[in-house]
Amino acid sequence: MQPEQAQISDVELLHAIARRDEQALAFLYDRYRSILFGLLVRILSVREEAEDVLQEVFLQVWRRSGDFNEQRGRPFTWLVTLARSRAIDRLRMLGARHRLAVSVAQDPSDQSSDAVNDTYKSEQRKIVVSALAELSAEQRDALLLAYFGGLTQSEIASQLNTPLGTVKTRMRSGLIKLREILNKQMRSLR
Amino acid sequence: MLTAESLTALDENEAQALESHLQSCLECRLELDEWQQSVAVLALSTTPLEPSPKLRVRMLESIKTEPDIETKSGNSNGSRTAKVLEFVASYSGKSPSIQKWGAIAASLLFLALLISLVVLWNESNATKHELARLSNQIQQTVQLLTREQEAIAILTAPGARVAELSGTDIVPSTHAILAYDKNGRAILIVRGLPPPPAGKMYQLWFSARGRFLPGKVFTTGYSGEATLNEQVPAEALKASAFSVTVEPENGMRSPTGAVYLRSVP
Repeated sequence: MQPEQAQISDVELLHAIARRDEQALAFLYDRYRSILFGLLVRILSVREEAEDVLQEVFLQVWRRSGDFNEQRGRPFTWLVTLARSRAIDRLRMLGARHRLAVSVAQDPSDQSSDAVNDTYKSEQRKIVVSALAELSAEQRDALLLAYFGGLTQSEIASQLNTPLGTVKTRMRSGLIKLREILNKQMRSLR
Repeated sequence: MLTAESLTALDENEAQALESHLQSCLECRLELDEWQQSVAVLALSTTPLEPSPKLRVRMLESIKTEPDIETKSGNSNGSRTAKVLEFVASYSGKSPSIQKWGAIAASLLFLALLISLVVLWNESNATKHELARLSNQIQQTVQLLTREQEAIAILTAPGARVAELSGTDIVPSTHAILAYDKNGRAILIVRGLPPPPAGKMYQLWFSARGRFLPGKVFTTGYSGEATLNEQVPAEALKASAFSVTVEPENGMRSPTGAVYLRSVP
């Protein structure tokens, strides 16, 4: 990304996109394409599917940037939520949840990939991975199966052969603990 | 339930119940926003990957066919689908500087149009004057042609006669011809006769039986030319003496002024 692009905030880019600024959309795409694509590949496992969804996500950004309210959250959260939602929808449509339910349980750091070197994002990733590592395996599995697998609590309970109530407790406690850890380590993520 | 909802992990019935609750509970909506921000950091745990460069091109091409900006959208059916985080729109769309420059541009355009109108109006007036001048000129030309045609008609008529008039000592260079047919229809053509004094006119005279019969009065203008349609009195048709004197404006019954033109015997 060019230096001048890096000076423009995410909020300013979304405002510009709402004014039909195509260059602003390109800037935003360049800024977040690797993170979002990594997320989508993690959920969908197939690059072609992930690319389709990524294109769909930015089309939604183009259409709905005027809806963004910075008082309710950060643009990053909005983008990630949008991308994950589209990916989960596609995953359910493809009917591949069972296959993924196995793969998402893996430690994210085990994945081999053509990772892009981005120092800042790399640091953030380390912090989040480190925070996840501090959760219990059961808490971590519940969160990851839900987040990357798109499974409901009932489905997770069925998958792990665990009572529904236990899954609900693990999911809630795991998310609370994750937030506490991240609040301590990286306030900029919020 | 909010933590599970932030992960979109609620079963369908619970999700619908929560959605109904959120419509009337701001506190829960705000708390859900907070949990969603916490959940979003899980995306950072994934390994960043680079998509195909062609995707960027496809994405930018795809927006070119987009018409209008959509507003908020909800689930399109009753089945459990992943929900997109929805925000209340608060963006106006235009910056004040764009509005200011737009107003300035509009003002400049109006001024330019006003100036153009004034210029066109002036040009229109000039054109009108030119048209009037040309119209007048055409009219004079038509009159001249008409008289020339009349003169030709008289000159070529059977029994037509032509009398030549010469200038006297007052204006030796002037001369005229008087052409008339057997019915007395005549035309006088004068050349080189200066305008008459102020308050005076030239008058044509027909000499018959020792008397001068009055003809029409006329003037020549600075061109020194005059063309006059005339009717020769019946008793003067066989006469061959004609003259032009200067008289009062309305003419006289008998010549009183100096003779400027006299027929050549």
